[in-house]
Amino acid sequence: MDRELLIEIGCEEIPASWLPGLTAQIGTHLESRLKELRLTPEAPIETFSTPRRLTARVARVSERQTDFEELVTGPPVSAAFKPDGEATPAATGFAKKYGVEVSALEKQQTPKGVYLAYRVHQRGKATVDVLADVMGGILRDMTFPKQMRWDAYLDDGKGALVFARPIRWLVLMYGGRVVPFVIRRPEIAQGPTVQDIRSGSNTYGHRFLTTSGRAGRAIKIKTFDDYKARLLENFVILERSERESRIRRELETHARKLGARVSPLVTSQSSLLAEVPDLVEYPSVVAGHFPVEFLQLPEEVLTTTMIHHQHYFPVVGDDGKLKPAFLAVTNMQPEKPEIIARNSERVLTARLRDARFFWDEDRSSPLESKIDRLSTILFHKKLGNYREKADRVSRLAAMIARDAFQQPGAVPDAEQAGRLCKADLATDMVRELTELQGTMGGIYAREDGLSETVWKAIYYHYLPVGVEADAPPTRKQLGAAAVTWAAVSLADKLDSVVGMFAVGERPTGSRDPLGLRRQAQGLVRILVDLPRLTGLETPIVLKTLVDRADTPWQSSDEIRQAIDTFLTERIHYLFEQRGFDIRAVRAVVKPGLDVDLVQVREKLEALVQLAGSEELQGVAALFKRVKNITKDVARGGDIPAGVLTEPAETALAEALVQRQATISAAVGRRDYRAAFATIGAMRPAVTTFFDDVLVMAEDAQLRAARLQLVARLRDVVLDIADISEIATGD
Amino acid sequence: MTFQDLILKLSAFWASQGCLLQQPLDLEVGAGTSHPETLFRVLGPKPWSVAYVQPSRRPDDGRFGQNPNRLFKHHQFQVILKPSPDEVQQTYLDSLEACGINPRQHDIRFEEDNWESPTLGAWGIGWQVLLDGMEITQFTYFQQVGGMDLEPISCEITYGLERIAMFLQRVDNVFDLEWGGGVKYREVRLQEEIEQSKYAFGQVDMPQADFAALHRDLFDKTFGFAGTLLDSGLILPALEHCLKCSHLFNILDSSGSVGVTERTAYILRIRQLAVKIARAQVEATTPAADEASA
Repeated sequence: MDRELLIEIGCEEIPASWLPGLTAQIGTHLESRLKELRLTPEAPIETFSTPRRLTARVARVSERQTDFEELVTGPPVSAAFKPDGEATPAATGFAKKYGVEVSALEKQQTPKGVYLAYRVHQRGKATVDVLADVMGGILRDMTFPKQMRWDAYLDDGKGALVFARPIRWLVLMYGGRVVPFVIRRPEIAQGPTVQDIRSGSNTYGHRFLTTSGRAGRAIKIKTFDDYKARLLENFVILERSERESRIRRELETHARKLGARVSPLVTSQSSLLAEVPDLVEYPSVVAGHFPVEFLQLPEEVLTTTMIHHQHYFPVVGDDGKLKPAFLAVTNMQPEKPEIIARNSERVLTARLRDARFFWDEDRSSPLESKIDRLSTILFHKKLGNYREKADRVSRLAAMIARDAFQQPGAVPDAEQAGRLCKADLATDMVRELTELQGTMGGIYAREDGLSETVWKAIYYHYLPVGVEADAPPTRKQLGAAAVTWAAVSLADKLDSVVGMFAVGERPTGSRDPLGLRRQAQGLVRILVDLPRLTGLETPIVLKTLVDRADTPWQSSDEIRQAIDTFLTERIHYLFEQRGFDIRAVRAVVKPGLDVDLVQVREKLEALVQLAGSEELQGVAALFKRVKNITKDVARGGDIPAGVLTEPAETALAEALVQRQATISAAVGRRDYRAAFATIGAMRPAVTTFFDDVLVMAEDAQLRAARLQLVARLRDVVLDIADISEIATGD
Repeated sequence: MTFQDLILKLSAFWASQGCLLQQPLDLEVGAGTSHPETLFRVLGPKPWSVAYVQPSRRPDDGRFGQNPNRLFKHHQFQVILKPSPDEVQQTYLDSLEACGINPRQHDIRFEEDNWESPTLGAWGIGWQVLLDGMEITQFTYFQQVGGMDLEPISCEITYGLERIAMFLQRVDNVFDLEWGGGVKYREVRLQEEIEQSKYAFGQVDMPQADFAALHRDLFDKTFGFAGTLLDSGLILPALEHCLKCSHLFNILDSSGSVGVTERTAYILRIRQLAVKIARAQVEATTPAADEASA
């Protein structure tokens, strides 16, 4: 009979941001360990979590392991019997090892001949006897963003058991009965206050809330349904989705009472709503107010303080403007919510008072005057301080505006915005609210009366962060500042990426402490969407930008190669994230940075439309061969006249002449769809050529001429994309 | 509850939990962690439970007594439990209740907040404890000190005494706290805050360059002597001189006397010294030596 398996790992508070990942992990590890130990879940694996527990449940798991059968190969039959048929020591030895007679062995046909073999048949053990191994396996399999040692180990001989936070209890039940399992404590720690953790049938409810008895006392459970119900009685909502919808509902109700709604910034610029359900076991919302005078502070300061520092939800009125109120999600069902509200108000007010102090203090001198203090803030030990960085960004931004964008009019603004863009790092506000770097600089620049172009370029210069086409900032937000912003934002990111590589700081594997990947993605993102973001149509070659950024460092070829590879990977990443087929991306994104990313995007958009067409696929299927046979043929060679006379040869040569013109014209109008269609249209000529003509002819002159023809085909196509990548055949 | 009553309550509570009541380290330190009762006691296997108040100086946080929430010097109530008891969170909550904070009427949370001290080669894992949104305690399970893995793991509970007192007394300005017997915090500490802030920010009748040179010199001499003390096997005095260096560096930093590259170099020097001292302490108190006498 199948029975229910229930696991609950009771923990001290697990970091909220880890919970979704750990919840998924317990499911996958349970699945793989059950499989490994030949236990069959007859129902889906369900997982749950709250800050204090990770739970997994399978409604039905078979009562026994499946049987195990294996054929163990012994000696070859030729060596197993003497001529008279008597078994040799090799055969008797093998049989003895398994405790059977030689006659019980089977003969196994293998490619190397016939061998003696023994069929091992092991009857599956009872599930209860295997579950401890499953449990141990899961605990060992779990990985954490930062692991903790807490004086615990398992009896599996693998030493200390690390975890997210200390484990305080363990439920391990099969068919309503406890499966014994122990987490041991080393002798060095063990004593009256530090004890082994033994699996049991007790769970624990909310730390503080209870309807009867002492809060946090042990609760005996039998089944999962019982467990869930008992937890709810004890103020723990096991389902995350239920906690979330409860939070949403209460937020709405309370906002309505305030004549407001939750600020849309909560969802557009933070993950607050995704975080709070993992911070609480039994959420309820309280509303508070702050003195109206603080509304004079910039909205960004108010919302950042509320959202990022206090996990409070700001609310806005019908006009979209902030109201002097907030909503806080608590982990309580307070008898007197006004106590919590009043205390929360005091904490927020204290923070806002600080913020107002910074706001006044910072504005007592212009942003410009903060630049000097940047020389006391380190950017990187080998790249100098932020003053030096700002100077580099300023020069680079000016060059990008003048040379790359060909917008000489934007140069002074780009230069100024570049010079000022890091100045807010020396303000009290940003020292306190680091999330507001850039934003504050922009606001202070605006307060100083600088032009919209300059202040917005500073305000948005850390963006974009996402690679999506609609990641902020939008053209509308940027307004008149778009070109200047692009110059400054590109300059800042180029300077960081190229500079860090120049001094040997490269992201490796999962380690990217300086966030270079994100910066490179931002850089790529701007270039890919440049016309849409700024209205600029000038083609920009990425390599020239990197050259400029590398002027102070003069990096070696090896470093430049590493930068090339790194940026190319980021380009791939961006397009893959945007849903382009990986083969199409490989076809269009060439190695090296000699590319205009707008062109790359447009080519990709065209290619994905035509990649499935029979014509283009026809050429693509042959294109690998084209590339292979012309590996040693240089670009731009002449096809000697009069040598190629076969109809298939002349047909291809003519097709190339004609189509090349069509393709160039299409590329000239940036009509890459037409370009790819034209390549597709060459399919009959190409197919016939390869069907009828032997390129590697015996005659050297003829062979050379044919290779030149194929090389020309190669180059015409490669100038657009390496379409061998999209071939679906072979 | 007055400020001094709060200290008495916490002291009585933790004494009843088996903690020794120690006294503050009589040196300028930034946190209770620097006290050898924490820094040295968490090393090695010997169980130890201790509690003490530690006045903690953060030159950079000096606000001339004008900020209602920030101080050059604040007071921490520090508890070290080694090994960390299984019920430590509940015991901590009980201590709040002993101070008159009823957890059923408030929203108390343990939110992720790890601790790291690059100058001590130390880090730990834990939470900040929030009381209705206000951080009142730092709760840390030490993992490493002096770059060495700790076993057993100690738990450090650091209460922010001013914060908790402000909460209990419902005042919005730290200087309005009642210290005891009707005397305000302002009366006890305001002058100190003003003068220490001036000093920390280099507002001294002395050219800035001389101020910096003097403190550099003090740093170098103290640092050198700490090395000599360590070489002489005087580990505690060496630690004290290392802590003096740390404070001198903080003054150099807050007074804007160190450049960026120099800053990193100072931190590295202190760290190397602190790591050496911690290692020497472990060697001096190896289990073998301990067990032999037991």
